[in-house]
Amino acid sequence: MNQDDKYKQEHSVRLADHFLTRRQFLERAGMGFGALSLAALFGNELFAPGLRAMEAEATLLPKTPPLPAKAKHVVHIFAQGAPSHVDTWDPKPALAKMNGQEIPGLNGVAMASPFKFSKKGKSGIEVSEVFPQLGELVDDLCIVRSMYTDIPAHEVATIMMNTGSRLVRPSLGSWVLYGLGSENQNMPGFISLRPGGAPPGGTANWQSAFLPGVYQGVSINTKVPTLNQLIENIRNPVTPLNEQRRQLDLVHQLNELHSQNLQKDAQLESRLEAFEMAFKMQTEATDAFDLNKEPQAIREMYGRSAQGNQMLIARRLIERGVRFVQVWAGGWDHHQDLEERLPERAKDIDQPLAAFIKDLKSRGLFDETLIVWGGEFGRKPTRDRNGGDNPGRDHNSKAFSTVLAGGGVRGGMTYGKTDEFGAASIENKVHVHDLHATILALLGFDHKKLTYRYNGRDFRLTETAGEIIKPMFA
Amino acid sequence: MKKILLLTLLAGAWFPGALRADDLTPAQRDFFENKIRPILGDRCYKCHSTFAEKIKGGLLLDSREALLKGGDTGKAIVPGNPEASLLIKAIRYTDPDLQMPKDKKLDDDQIADLTAWVKMGAPDPRSATAEQRKYSDNKTNHWAWQPVKRVAIPEASNPDWCQTPVDNFILAKLDENNLKPNPPADKRTLIRRATFDLIGLPPTPEEVQDFVNDTSPDAFAKVVDRLLASPHYGERWGRHWLDVARYSDTKGQPRRNTEDNVNPFAWTYRDYVIRSFNEDKPFNQFILEQIAADRLPSTARNPTNLTALGFLTVGDHYMGMQNDIINDRIDVVSKGFLGLTVPCARCHDHKFDPIPQKDYYSLRGIFDSCVEPKIEPVIGKIPNTPEYQAYYRQREKLAQDEYNLETSLPRLRKSGDQEAFKQARRELQKKAHEITELELTNPAAPMRAMVLEDAVRGHDSPLFIRGEAGNRGELVPRRFLQLLSAPNRPVYTNGSGRLELALGIASPNNPLTARVMINRIWQHHFGAGFVPTPDDFGMMSEAPSHPQLLDYLAVNFMTNGWSVKKIHRLIMLSSVYQEDSANNPRFAQTDPGNRLLWRANIRRLEFEPLRDSLLAIGGSLDTNLYGRAVDLRQHPDSTRRTIYDFVDRANIADVLVNFDFATPDMVTGIRHSTMVPQQALFLMNSPIIIDLARRLVAMPEFVENVDDNWRLNFLYERIYQRPPGPEESQLGLEFVNQTPLRDELPPALAGNVSDDGKKNKLGKKNRQQPAVASSASKKRAPLTSWEEYAQALLQANETSFVN
Repeated sequence: MNQDDKYKQEHSVRLADHFLTRRQFLERAGMGFGALSLAALFGNELFAPGLRAMEAEATLLPKTPPLPAKAKHVVHIFAQGAPSHVDTWDPKPALAKMNGQEIPGLNGVAMASPFKFSKKGKSGIEVSEVFPQLGELVDDLCIVRSMYTDIPAHEVATIMMNTGSRLVRPSLGSWVLYGLGSENQNMPGFISLRPGGAPPGGTANWQSAFLPGVYQGVSINTKVPTLNQLIENIRNPVTPLNEQRRQLDLVHQLNELHSQNLQKDAQLESRLEAFEMAFKMQTEATDAFDLNKEPQAIREMYGRSAQGNQMLIARRLIERGVRFVQVWAGGWDHHQDLEERLPERAKDIDQPLAAFIKDLKSRGLFDETLIVWGGEFGRKPTRDRNGGDNPGRDHNSKAFSTVLAGGGVRGGMTYGKTDEFGAASIENKVHVHDLHATILALLGFDHKKLTYRYNGRDFRLTETAGEIIKPMFA
Repeated sequence: MKKILLLTLLAGAWFPGALRADDLTPAQRDFFENKIRPILGDRCYKCHSTFAEKIKGGLLLDSREALLKGGDTGKAIVPGNPEASLLIKAIRYTDPDLQMPKDKKLDDDQIADLTAWVKMGAPDPRSATAEQRKYSDNKTNHWAWQPVKRVAIPEASNPDWCQTPVDNFILAKLDENNLKPNPPADKRTLIRRATFDLIGLPPTPEEVQDFVNDTSPDAFAKVVDRLLASPHYGERWGRHWLDVARYSDTKGQPRRNTEDNVNPFAWTYRDYVIRSFNEDKPFNQFILEQIAADRLPSTARNPTNLTALGFLTVGDHYMGMQNDIINDRIDVVSKGFLGLTVPCARCHDHKFDPIPQKDYYSLRGIFDSCVEPKIEPVIGKIPNTPEYQAYYRQREKLAQDEYNLETSLPRLRKSGDQEAFKQARRELQKKAHEITELELTNPAAPMRAMVLEDAVRGHDSPLFIRGEAGNRGELVPRRFLQLLSAPNRPVYTNGSGRLELALGIASPNNPLTARVMINRIWQHHFGAGFVPTPDDFGMMSEAPSHPQLLDYLAVNFMTNGWSVKKIHRLIMLSSVYQEDSANNPRFAQTDPGNRLLWRANIRRLEFEPLRDSLLAIGGSLDTNLYGRAVDLRQHPDSTRRTIYDFVDRANIADVLVNFDFATPDMVTGIRHSTMVPQQALFLMNSPIIIDLARRLVAMPEFVENVDDNWRLNFLYERIYQRPPGPEESQLGLEFVNQTPLRDELPPALAGNVSDDGKKNKLGKKNRQQPAVASSASKKRAPLTSWEEYAQALLQANETSFVN
């Protein structure tokens, strides 16, 4: 036997030997793979036990959380760059009094906020003038003024806020998707919207890490001019869908033959699912992102800006059952020129987020959607030494503010306190882990029990910490 | 009663250290057992004992020794002095940053008892158990800190299987676990694996045929040697190193209003890396050059080596924040070469590894004693052509303009004219941008090296307390890491100390350097390294799967002139490399992650080899090496290899993100390997794939031969480098003989997402924007059955995976 014949014989598995007939295979392919357990498709015996259990669970089918839940979706607006809390949500009159003077123990000169704060809403919570529209909605907001995190470095803290760790760990969105599945099998259940390039930490912020890849966030650059570019290659320019379906069925059959010669590898399996989802995304996803389908009035309400578009897309995704939407709205790293630049960033999100809240309310989605706005840490009450004549503030991991709304959160309240200058959180301190525990609780999970076994250990989002902040609950 | 008891106890408080078990009075012992031990046990051990799930703050409270030693923040108690004891401070909840126990403050009685106990000298009957000692010794005993050992080659249970000593080590571990290695892969699989591994391209059909027909015993060795000699080898392995070097053609966050975003000469570093791998530059030399090429005598003979310093300078510019730039350099040097996360010690002693905060500032002093020259030095001969002279005049003028603007800034700042000051800064940035454009686009612009130079005088850095630049502590001498030095480590005196640092890293006595590089090489051959975290060999890393083999290879590496190519050869000529990838359910039970390598791993191709192989399959790959970057978003029809793409760290191309490209903001020793729908969309709909399908079917051989079976064979050979099996042929024939379905195409989705889409700054920074027009829109004709079939083969797993 020559080499080629030998090769052919070794590598030819007849379909008839296979555990699925071709017809069965095509039927299943047609009905959508999201509904199939992987083990059912490939046969249990070929999976190692650990892998089998893990992969069989890897489905996006909707699941009921173990505990009563208020929220069903999460929209996390990430104010990356670390917004200054004392200029936005945490007024500090003491800074104005001490302006220009050394603050004892802080090793720097007090910098008064250049912005006015005034009481808003029935709750009378003071909000900075940089958020005129959100200020009007303060009775819907829960402002946590006592956040803190571990390390005041952007990338580390950004990843920390999204994954609860500095190491490679699944992101909050991945955990939520793992726990709850998605209500729409034709779209990714976790979508990350970014207006341009990747944020610090890049894919780590929406990674699934050791969770199966199906829980990974799908990152979308919303700052491209046409829908075709929004999701790269979302449409085939020459092949119609029904013909593409025929082609894709052939691809699956080729893969079947190929994979019989290899191990039944989880990677190959998830690739098959990726193709099926991609096929469906071609129609469903473009529709979700097509803002031209929105009435003019709604477009105006959100504002025709990068963040206006992102928040409107977020609403369209939530409506379609997407479980977790991450919205990047960064640019808050104001070491200098704070007076000039901070209001620009605030303006970017003020109208869009206010419109989003009002819009969700009018559609009855507000109560089931948990909205989170915040950055990775806060800023110091003192002048940044590098700011020169146009001062700003340096990093501060000991204090920052995070705003929550909707989804079972009590509106019109503040929680926790920083010291008189805003240098550090001192009362009812909320660590990133505590925030995560609270978010999971609002979604119906005990954060200590939402675990995933990996390398012989049960991992969870909150590591070994996390306290649920019950006073925030409506 | 209580008072009396305390007085009695305090009688023992004269001892300088904590009271030892033998010295305890019965009353003291009772006090400890009744009052103190219950508090420690109930409220502290959960996080501060040897058996804690996770020990917090490096602090153990379950033995006298550990208590006295303290944790990361220092000694827990000062016997006899509660006011100076951190533990007492913590339980009193007076410092918002130090409040223990975290969950709930102790009762006042309990606080009083602990305070009294410390005051009396902390009489403590407990002594360290063996288990507890093990933990405290770990910081010095961790395997990775131990010298690399010469290890004996294990006896082989099956000498026939062992082609190289590598196999003896592998087999020994398999035997221990009752596993057996898989049979060898067939020759076509093997040559495909080897070719992708070494040059990132598929073998040509001819290369496959030659190998299949070569029945000599050294047939595979010939293949390996041919591939190692290929200039494309450097393009493949250079890219692995660029992942570590967080390579980018842009600065990320340039210095506000004064710098341009682009590094016009980053490519010279990229080419240096490719060339170094191609030349099999000794890895220790590669280290020295990347850290201190400017200080090496060999650079005088070969000034091109100055481009090596891009390793330090291609990082993010952090808006000109010098401390962050230095931190990035410490990061890339320590993770890249040593597998150590030294930047964790920027604000405090390393939480897990024995890297004191002072060590960070020893390195900081080195990099703080370095400067980047304003104009990068020209490398190579300057041509005396009219074009060059024109370029030169223009460059001079721009430099002069830039200088004038820069020198005007302090004056304008003083004058208080904010507007004029800002205007000058904007002008300055514009000039910087013009200079970049000139360097990037003028064909006569010479190559320059992104060097780092020593400042006139080297100086030590103060320690920044809690990492805060404004909060300065003592001066820390420039010197090597304590962990990797003998006692009395010398202070660096040679300029900044970079060369001494480089020598310390490249030393054969360094336990980490060779191991870290061997682990990287192994990982790229097998999909996983001995240590799964290639950039962190610290205490938090998993122990190596084959510690002996790791050391064997490390010794081999160093004694063979640090030759990377020799290591490839050794590994690839081993049976373990040549196994097939078939599964074995029984073995998968024992070793589901295949850490012991009873089979070959199946690996998804990264984006670079995937795109390059598509171009190669279509016969259109541009095989030219080196040169300036080409922005594939601007030039989607370019057929240059993907390593020459313009990498913009602030705006990574979507397609790269979707395929898990290494984030250029950090050292990335291992990429993720996800399967997401966007990857499928790329293969279903991208112009590159549609063009390739058309191109394959338009090849003259294909057109001339009308026999369906011949054509199937042709496509299989071309794409998979193998003939189809009978079932595959049958599937193919059925598909191509059916008429394609021809529904109407959906209307082109050209609507704007936002009306301001046109107005946003796309035009201004068009270098970073995806090109709208593509070749596919030029050819709107539907695909024929054969073209669709070819595309299906390209979409199938076999194209994207190496097995």
